Amino acid sequence: MKSKSILFLFVLLFIQKAFAESVNISQIDNSSLLLDQNIRVYISITDNKGLPIKRVDEGKITVSESSDEKNFKKVKVQSFKPEANYERGINFLLLLDNSGSMYFDLNGRETSDEEKTRISQAKRAVIEFINSIKNPADKVGIASYNSYYEVYSMPVSDKNKIINYLDEIKKPSGEEGWTEIYSSLYLAAEDFSQISGRKAIIILSDGENRPFYVHTGKPHRDFGKKVFKYQEAIEKNIIEGVSVFTINYGNPADKKDSGLKSISYNTGGVVFDAYNEEELKSVYSKIRERILSEIMITYKAGMEPAEKKYVKVEMTASDNSKVSSTRYYISSMIFGMPLKESTPWLLLAILIALLLLWLLSMIKFKNRNTQPLLEILDAPRGTIVSRTLALTKNQTVIGGSKNADLTILNAPSVKEEHATIVFDQKTQVYALKSKEDVLVNNKPVKTKILESGDVINVGGTTIVFDEGEIKKKR
Amino acid sequence: MSTLMKRVFLCIIGLLAGLASWATVELIIIQQAKFPSYLLFSITLGVIVGIFMSGFFGTSEGIFLADGSKIIKGIITGIIVGTIGGTAGFLIGQAILFAAGNNLAHSVSDINKIALPLTRTIGWSILGIFIGITEGIRSFSFRKIKVGFLGGMLGGITGGLAVEYLPRILDNLLVARLVGFLSFGFFIGIFYGIIEKTFSLGILKLLNGKYKGKEFLINQKRIKIGSSSWSDIKLSDYEDIDPIHAEIFVKRKNVNIRNKSKESIIKVNDDITEQKELKFEDVIQIGSAKFIFKYS
Repeated sequence: MKSKSILFLFVLLFIQKAFAESVNISQIDNSSLLLDQNIRVYISITDNKGLPIKRVDEGKITVSESSDEKNFKKVKVQSFKPEANYERGINFLLLLDNSGSMYFDLNGRETSDEEKTRISQAKRAVIEFINSIKNPADKVGIASYNSYYEVYSMPVSDKNKIINYLDEIKKPSGEEGWTEIYSSLYLAAEDFSQISGRKAIIILSDGENRPFYVHTGKPHRDFGKKVFKYQEAIEKNIIEGVSVFTINYGNPADKKDSGLKSISYNTGGVVFDAYNEEELKSVYSKIRERILSEIMITYKAGMEPAEKKYVKVEMTASDNSKVSSTRYYISSMIFGMPLKESTPWLLLAILIALLLLWLLSMIKFKNRNTQPLLEILDAPRGTIVSRTLALTKNQTVIGGSKNADLTILNAPSVKEEHATIVFDQKTQVYALKSKEDVLVNNKPVKTKILESGDVINVGGTTIVFDEGEIKKKR
Repeated sequence: MSTLMKRVFLCIIGLLAGLASWATVELIIIQQAKFPSYLLFSITLGVIVGIFMSGFFGTSEGIFLADGSKIIKGIITGIIVGTIGGTAGFLIGQAILFAAGNNLAHSVSDINKIALPLTRTIGWSILGIFIGITEGIRSFSFRKIKVGFLGGMLGGITGGLAVEYLPRILDNLLVARLVGFLSFGFFIGIFYGIIEKTFSLGILKLLNGKYKGKEFLINQKRIKIGSSSWSDIKLSDYEDIDPIHAEIFVKRKNVNIRNKSKESIIKVNDDITEQKELKFEDVIQIGSAKFIFKYS
């Protein structure tokens, strides 16, 4: 008797818990964080019968933010907008299971009556759902998955177009019939990145995730040997701001995918079970009602550096108990996370940069040459051997001969001994002498006393005469 | 210093500017929590980078000319222009992000992967433009401003992409940020140098004296040569040079020289000249200094 009472109390508690008022963060929109510091949190509130509540006293709701999921700091709510999604509409992407098992009847048996297959029932439910949408701001898209994810149309206003696309969902053949749930949800979220506003994927599934590679041992056409984890689908949908609503369709005895449940829970969606066509039709409407009744809360975000920021929405229920929901949004800056603390190395780096700049400014690039020399300024390729020639002799011959002091090769216009630089010991002066005209400072001459910086052109080779420090010796 | 050496120097200055900017940005982002908004935080980072980059690049011309007063003026101009550039760079990038808004980015990942790096790269290129035009503003040269605009923009785009995308490629964020900033400075230096040389109408190369070998690009409409700090080519260790002795000027894309001194002469190819259009390998003598004119 005692054990029966305990069991009764336990069941009572379970029922009470199962149908207590609840608050759920369905989406966090941080896309305008950089522009206006605002975070928009969409919450759905359900009553003790599990039905959505459209309006609630603002005073019963508190919002707090945390960088570590432990220490939450209450934030000031900027605005509180019930039924936030009605005006701007909802973008639905209906993701239908098109695996082999969807062509069985509800009891999992093969059937010759196509109308009794799960896929036909699902298509009829989808048509009813689409026809029930009267808000022109709502948009619907359609995609299917089996071994491969296929999108027929991303959300559009033209509902008939989507209904027509249902005919394109054909029975899979051969190895097409596996069930890639996680990868498909990942790809669907990726496709959703092109669309703004409130985004929801409604995925219909009649079983578990059965990846192509795991079951066939063959690399997948699109991902090779990669097998998607449900956590990847969660992360992707959170980043893209998509809520995943799951409909488990089929026989109550069918196995349900636990990862899919987790995806829905973590992305702000809900899991529904539907065991016949009528239930399926009502589930689609429930999901839409639930999203429509969402409340949008706007608040100014804090500036603590974090890769993720956790948002907690807490509500005082009618029995004064507290119910809450926590989710995170991505808050990393483009430069990434800062160092934990300042380090002297950073100051040192600044000082080193400044010091090196100062040292650069000290370099004067002075001419250190003290000897008289000839320096080749420009020469056609392959005509000279070295760039400089020290003037150590009293006579320095420039010419095409190999015996010349400065040989200019492969230049037909250059004579064997084209010009000579003569040093007069008495006057300590260098002069150029030649039988032919030689360009010195762009002017043809046969003789010229050279000054430092004079430019001699011999057969296209430009030579500069540099006196060095000779003047000091005079 | 040859024009090649000048380009190497510009790259070194760019790397040093990148090092200083990186370290300062690291010190600022540690203080992120103290900022009132992400917008102000980001603008502050832009201003800091602008000040360091423009300040460092502002010294470049003074360093090439070995002119201390030009270095100081360059730093001051650089800090002012960099502050404006950093703010403008980020705000314009931000404005584009506003304008593009929902048309470009529909989700956080869109914003983080495409819109934000793209618009911020535009911001970096605008910052690059301001860094590039610093010298043009200091020397009141429209031609130099044009060169700086193009060089700074190309460097800013390339460097900006490095700053934005390297942290996504490299695992060590600190290293990625350092490499990103070094790349930003380096690319501005390299592109400024390339554009400056490409757009110049010729080179004057010193042939004698203490600064023999130093090359001066003809990249502005008027270049004053003399011993004064006001001259663009300052000849401080040469004899018989007046404060403003000669002027190189560009007329219908031809380079000319004229004597600006009443007391002293100038020579072109050993002939006393008042004004002359320069031809390839003409030798100019101003006081004891000799230059050769070459096409760049």
